[in-house]
Amino acid sequence: MVTDAFAATGEHAAAAGGHAAAGSGMPQFEPSVFQHEIFWSIASFVILLYLLRKYVLPPIEKVLDARNEKIRSDLDAAETSRREAEKISAEIQKQLNSARRQAEQTIEEARLEAAKYRELARESLGQELAKKKTLALAEIDTAKASAIAELHHAAVDIAMLATEKLIAKNMTKTETNKMVQEAITAIQESKIPVH
Amino acid sequence: MSLTTASMDFPAHAVAQAAPKMDPLHHFQVVKDVSMSLFGIDISTSNSVYAMWISAGLVMLFFHFAFKDPKTIPGRLQSLGEIGYLFVRGMVDDIIGEKGRPFFPYIFTLFFFILFCNLSGLIPGSFTVTSQLIVTATFSLAIVGFSFAYGFYLHGKRYLKFFVPSGVPLLLTPLMIPIEIISFLARPVSLAVRLFANMTAGHTMLAVMFLYVISLPWWGAWLPFGFTVIFTGVEIFIGFIQAYIFTILTCVYINDSIHMH
Repeated sequence: MVTDAFAATGEHAAAAGGHAAAGSGMPQFEPSVFQHEIFWSIASFVILLYLLRKYVLPPIEKVLDARNEKIRSDLDAAETSRREAEKISAEIQKQLNSARRQAEQTIEEARLEAAKYRELARESLGQELAKKKTLALAEIDTAKASAIAELHHAAVDIAMLATEKLIAKNMTKTETNKMVQEAITAIQESKIPVH
Repeated sequence: MSLTTASMDFPAHAVAQAAPKMDPLHHFQVVKDVSMSLFGIDISTSNSVYAMWISAGLVMLFFHFAFKDPKTIPGRLQSLGEIGYLFVRGMVDDIIGEKGRPFFPYIFTLFFFILFCNLSGLIPGSFTVTSQLIVTATFSLAIVGFSFAYGFYLHGKRYLKFFVPSGVPLLLTPLMIPIEIISFLARPVSLAVRLFANMTAGHTMLAVMFLYVISLPWWGAWLPFGFTVIFTGVEIFIGFIQAYIFTILTCVYINDSIHMH
């Protein structure tokens, strides 16, 4: 059966090619078709090559090149942005540092100022107090002096009144004055403490 | 391959009539269509020639639609086209390098022509161009012949050193030179036969299985039919692999003629 089939193939090929087949039974070895197969293989290849070269390869290369270019430029842009961002970040860090330093400085200054004011306040308070004390003392002295003077007058008046009443009958004015003088002197000498 | 029809109760003459159709090699038959000749060269068209044109046309159609409106961010089809382009580009760059650039269009065309011939041949009723030894031989001889000529063009007489492996003791050179020459001559043969044999074998296998499908009763036919389904997938893979091997060996041969070894 198999051989029959192969024989039939041979006949078939013979019918198609017009020549006897090589006897192998495979239609591929039928030489009568070789010439046009060779011609058209080469011709088809050359035509396809021409068409691909003219219409297919340039657009592919164009789009690939464009993409490469885009990727490259995007990468470049990204690199630039990154560098810029780094710069900005460094700048911000610097500003932050300086701000912090400034704040610290301000706080320190404020602390010093406050200390100074406290000191000043304390000082002025002391002065005020001292002044007030001095004033009070002076007032006290004045009050003492006036008290003494008043006492003196009162004492003189009392003494004069008493002496007047006591001595009015038997003493002259001259004697009375003399005795008052003596009495005053005695009082002054004895320095009766009033306060 | 046993086409026993005796069990199927066909009359003998029916079997005889069916015999050409039951032939698993039938679909490799080149049938001339329009007979033409040009300066004594036969340029007739045939089913094989039409299949070439269709394959080439499919290559053009594929790339036309893939790059109809090329975008920086590609769609699916464009991505596929770019993958194909970069695949061949990578092959040329990796194997040949900078000097391979001028050959890139040729290798690109070769890869996609063979690939689409392999794949379009899998469509039922179509013709597999690469299953014709004469077609693969045409390409392989052209490639090896070109690489040989190009080697001479680049290196002149020094190219003959290609057949004298360096580092071999002088005593062995009379032995090594014939071996190198034979291995060089084997190049076009192996290149052509590999592709032809792979395609022929795969398609013959499919044809045999289909013949089983039509000759077995329905309860038995599903087994070979299932096999053809699976094997068609394998054939798609083989189509890719063989196109790749054919192309990469082309790169290797061109590289040999440029850089020697």
